[in-house]
Amino acid sequence: MSSPIITLKDVNKTYPGIVPLHVLKGINLEIGRGELVSIMGASGSGKSTLLNILGILDNYDTGEYVLDGTLIKNLSENRAAELRNKMIGFVFQSFNLINYKNAVENVALPLFYQGVSRKKRNKLAMEQLDRMGLADRAHHLPGELSGGQKQRVAIARSLITNPSIILADEPTGALDSKTSKEVMDVFRDLNSSTGMTIIIVTHDPGVGAKTNRIIRISDGMILPDENV
Amino acid sequence: MFDLAREIGQTLSNNKLRTSLTGLSVAWGIFMLIILLGMSQGVVNSFNEGFMSQGSNYINIWGGRTSNAFKGYKEGRSIDLKESDLNVIDSRNGNIVDNISSSISGSSVVISSPIDYISSGYDGVFPDELDKRGIPLSYGRFINELDLEHRRKVVVLTEQNAAILFKTAENAIGKQVKMKDLSFTVIGVINPRFGQETYIPFTTALALKGGDSVVDGISVELKNVYTMEDGEKAEGDIKKTLAHTHDFDTEDNGAVHIWNRFNQHLTMSSALNVLQLVVWLIGLFTLLSGIIGVSNIMFVSVKERTHEIGIRRAIGAKPMSILIQIITESVAITGIFGYIGVFFGIVIIEFLGKIFEGSEFIGDVTVDISIAIKVTIVLIIAGCLAGLFPALKALKVKPVEALRDE
Repeated sequence: MSSPIITLKDVNKTYPGIVPLHVLKGINLEIGRGELVSIMGASGSGKSTLLNILGILDNYDTGEYVLDGTLIKNLSENRAAELRNKMIGFVFQSFNLINYKNAVENVALPLFYQGVSRKKRNKLAMEQLDRMGLADRAHHLPGELSGGQKQRVAIARSLITNPSIILADEPTGALDSKTSKEVMDVFRDLNSSTGMTIIIVTHDPGVGAKTNRIIRISDGMILPDENV
Repeated sequence: MFDLAREIGQTLSNNKLRTSLTGLSVAWGIFMLIILLGMSQGVVNSFNEGFMSQGSNYINIWGGRTSNAFKGYKEGRSIDLKESDLNVIDSRNGNIVDNISSSISGSSVVISSPIDYISSGYDGVFPDELDKRGIPLSYGRFINELDLEHRRKVVVLTEQNAAILFKTAENAIGKQVKMKDLSFTVIGVINPRFGQETYIPFTTALALKGGDSVVDGISVELKNVYTMEDGEKAEGDIKKTLAHTHDFDTEDNGAVHIWNRFNQHLTMSSALNVLQLVVWLIGLFTLLSGIIGVSNIMFVSVKERTHEIGIRRAIGAKPMSILIQIITESVAITGIFGYIGVFFGIVIIEFLGKIFEGSEFIGDVTVDISIAIKVTIVLIIAGCLAGLFPALKALKVKPVEALRDE
């Protein structure tokens, strides 16, 4: 197997305050290219913080985080935005689509920030929507889509810049069990057919069971691995 | 570029009511600014057409009565300016005297033509009298140096008088009139704003009056004077010269009366400048309240869109990109609605121009192109500022926190 796509070495993070909160206490973690993993932990375990660090949405204090060969440490806001755009595809629990833009425009938005022309990025967006089976809903506003459809639009958006990893935060949290199953099938299919590395943060064991590896975090530390 | 425009268009039309109300306050501010500027320009123009158009580099002197006893003379002695004073003043104050002239007034005489007659006062003057008083010449010419030299019997009539004497004013040129039993040729017709004075050459008037060549007043056209201090010194020097010639105390304020037109002009000039400055300031402060309105709304709008901004940043929007988007929105609002204000301002100005046409205190009510450019620049800067502070505030929130908003 080639080098891991994600390496975390001894990563620590403390939230400052009257009582400083040492949230991540020396995280060591490796995720390989093409893996479909879940990160599971109770609330307060530090899994949200870990997710934010993996997603270059927050800084850490000590240690090293390397993503697809790039050291992610003390980045300027500009550089962080650039890397987020190019290397990471986000999928959120509450979909986080822009409610006055239609499906195509939402999916195309990351390319707008790359400076891609409107015609080109809409074309690429249509391709992604088609992959998700939503070509017929391309011009609908989020308000006109069901939960499952919205999440699939979000997944299409996460794929459009051809990122290194997909980072999903409780992607099925707002969906019913049937739709949740559909979305998880999309992830599994994506992983097996394209080899896309997918990391899902969740507290739902059912979701964890659908991934190939569960990384457990408790009290700011990674528990020894177990394979599913 | 287009892209950004589409983004902004979407955002603005998303909240039509709020955008319109905000824009309205900007439009109103600009509208008031334009009206104020136009009206003040009207006042300035009226001054420029009246008082300011008359010769401004002048000091005029008239004889008076002494108020102090001096050099053996009692007080209350009348000081009469004479023709000889003209040369004396000129030679003793050559550095500041450009031209010196005088006038003699004659009381009402009968001026008659073959057709009719009029009764008019007359002034014997120098060639510069027309410019000094800012009187327009309608037909023919005014009195010149040769007329003075040869003491010609030539006369300049007002349009009204010329028309009475010769049916039409134009007709009068070249014709003869009888004045004081002498035959005068009409050489010009003038159209003064006030009065119906008839003009003849100064030297001719001297000869007509006979006696000891007392003149009514002396007018000194100044050169090499630029400031109020220069003007006061010139006035003092001329007074000293006359005090020496006529034996009165230089400190005596009644001996001669001096009208320092030059200093008055400077004062009026600076007063008009102050007026225009004050009006700009008032206008700008009115506009400021509109801009604060825009900024207020931008703050609200940005706060509402915290979550959306968080999404954009998560998927790769750089801080500068967010900044540009918000500032451009703000400039778009101030720009579009600002121009609506400018448009209506100009329409109303035109309307007001028609209403005040011919008014004594309001001249041409106009707003010229340089004003439009200045206003545009003001609008753009204002729009940028109105959006800048909300944008900077938005960027202070980290994407993670922004995403949690809602």
